Amino acid sequence: MAEEKKVIFYTEDIEMRFGGLYALKNINIKIYENEILGMIGPNGSGKTTFFNVITGFYKPTKGRFYFMGEDLTGKEPYEITRKGISRTYQISRLCLDLTILDNILIGTYPVQKSGYSDAIFNRKKLIKEVKKHTERAVHLLNIFNPDLIEKLFVPVRSLPHIDRRRVEICRAMIAEPKLILLDEPSAGMNADETKELMDDIEKVRKEMENVTIMIIEHDMKVISSVSERVIALNFGQVIAEGTYEEVSHNKEVIEAYLGKEVANG
Amino acid sequence: MKKESKFLDYIKIILVEIVAFFLFLFFLKIESIWIVIAAILLAILIYFLSKIYKEKFRALIELFSRYQNFAIGVLFILLIIYPFISPLIITHSTYWMLILIQTGIYIMIALGLNFQLGSTGMMNLATAAFYGIGAYTAGLLALKLGWTALLTIPLGGLAAAFAGLLLVIPIYRTKGHYLALVTLAFGFMLVLAADNIEIIGGPQGLKNIPPVNIFGYNFLTEIGSLHFYTNYYYLVLAILGITIFIFARLFNSWIGLTSAYIRDDEPAAKGCGININLRKLLVFVFGNFFMGVAGAIYAHMIGFISPPNFQFAQSLLIVAIVIIGGMDNILGVIVAAILLVVFPEKLRVVTEYRIFLYGILLVVTLILRPRGILPFGPRKYDSSILKFARKGGS
Ligand SMILES: Nc1ncnc2c1ncn2[C@@H]1O[C@H](COP(=O)(O)OP(=O)(O)OP(=O)(O)O)[C@@H](O)[C@H]1O
Ligand SMILES: [Mg+2]
Repeated sequence: MAEEKKVIFYTEDIEMRFGGLYALKNINIKIYENEILGMIGPNGSGKTTFFNVITGFYKPTKGRFYFMGEDLTGKEPYEITRKGISRTYQISRLCLDLTILDNILIGTYPVQKSGYSDAIFNRKKLIKEVKKHTERAVHLLNIFNPDLIEKLFVPVRSLPHIDRRRVEICRAMIAEPKLILLDEPSAGMNADETKELMDDIEKVRKEMENVTIMIIEHDMKVISSVSERVIALNFGQVIAEGTYEEVSHNKEVIEAYLGKEVANG
Repeated sequence: MKKESKFLDYIKIILVEIVAFFLFLFFLKIESIWIVIAAILLAILIYFLSKIYKEKFRALIELFSRYQNFAIGVLFILLIIYPFISPLIITHSTYWMLILIQTGIYIMIALGLNFQLGSTGMMNLATAAFYGIGAYTAGLLALKLGWTALLTIPLGGLAAAFAGLLLVIPIYRTKGHYLALVTLAFGFMLVLAADNIEIIGGPQGLKNIPPVNIFGYNFLTEIGSLHFYTNYYYLVLAILGITIFIFARLFNSWIGLTSAYIRDDEPAAKGCGININLRKLLVFVFGNFFMGVAGAIYAHMIGFISPPNFQFAQSLLIVAIVIIGGMDNILGVIVAAILLVVFPEKLRVVTEYRIFLYGILLVVTLILRPRGILPFGPRKYDSSILKFARKGGS
């Protein structure tokens, strides 16, 4: 079934070593076009590191990764973003003193066309562009939380956690990427907020029918409801892969999580 | 009805500006230190009154920001007639004109630094050195080659920009506060070098730099009974106007947005597709250009430059202007420059303690207003974007 789909992204033996610590080891992962792929794993299992590697923040110590047939290993984050991969962060990274509008518009950077000379001499062109992207930002906010539209010029600092997350998701969506990486979007949210967030992810899917999404989550409810396929990591290695049912019943996965609970208890 | 209220608003703006203008003139006029102190106390009183009558004060600010272009226009007209009015009121009007020109030059440098530090978070502790590069370039070109100011002023800017380029390229790969350290060292080195290189005058510096002479008009010409400084006053006013115009437009553009993102969260900016190194390079070079231009004008006006004019203390003053004024806010920079350059002149008794005064001002602002007198506000891009957003995006 999934095998018939087109592979949009894959890795070859990715290894990420920090001194003596293998944060990732022999990672061979495929992402199929148009799917929602979930990634689970106990704390410190290497999930965020995986995102950091494939978005260019870390350079892998071994292995390569390919996006739409192109080798992106060793490329800078800005180059990778411009190829059509965008992301959110586990601890949300917004500029809190900048407005909601600014925080979303910055996501259009890869498609912005007006530079210094347009900013100074050709305001018409610049403002037309700003307006086009502002319209899009308003459209996106309207999907997640229409109340935010009135606050376009309000600093993000004043927003509750869930709305900040939404702004971050809008920022990741606005340049129409092909692959969106969501790093634990429910982190720090209560049960109600988490439920809203699950709806939000469905909304992303509806809005961008052709987008591929990979989502890291601790919350099994989120994973089971949104993802079509799940990969489990432990100690930097893939220990299971398949549907949520398959992965959640996998013996190694249960052990990894139980082991963690025992250790924590 | 509506037209009438608009007319009233215009009148209000004009009146407020004229009152402020004359208050400023009278402040320049007073000689006694005690009255100066009284005036400062009065200013503090006004500050607290503005806190008490918050609503009225806010309405006034709202008024000015609504008719921003009109308010700026009125201000410019007042500044244009200033040279003709000031001799009628102020006793040492020539001296104060020189101070105002100097303030204008500092504002230009500070706006260049504001673009680097305030907008983009790049510390530059060598602003005086880059200003000096502009001054020496213009001075040498005018002295040795006899070039016109039409060339020497932009070339002074380009020289400072180019020096910035050479300085920033090697530190591409370093992180954090290295830029502050590197510029600090560069500033000291440059003054030392200027002191020791004979062909640029060594410690004696450059003397007899010819004045600006554009299209046969010599800037030493007096305008009626007005001192020749008046020519430079208008030159600085014009170039400063253009500078403010450019930086205001940059703030309200992708450039300003990208810079702010780099300043506030560099990794997030990277993740948004921004080539940080390239952006920073452009910002640094662009900001430096204006410092060089300011230096070139200064060299032509004073006719004599030497290494002590470009020492670290000057750089420190510029940094203080940007921090006290408020990061990434053009108006804040202007207000702080007036505060730090014009006001201490009034307190000449304490001139020796000037640096001390700056220190106190810096500490007081950091305690009372940690983000400066006027920190940056929301980026509005254009009134049409604002209207569009107000309508709820339909
Ligand atoms: N820059 C770094 N330097 C050194 N070690 C690192 C670095 N980044 C991550 N690590 C280590 O790599 C391992 C994996 O970390 P990672 O953040 O990827 O875990 P995670 O699966 O995202 O965990 P969590 O669920 O807590 O977010 C951890 O042991 C972490 O300490
Ligand atoms: Mg993580």
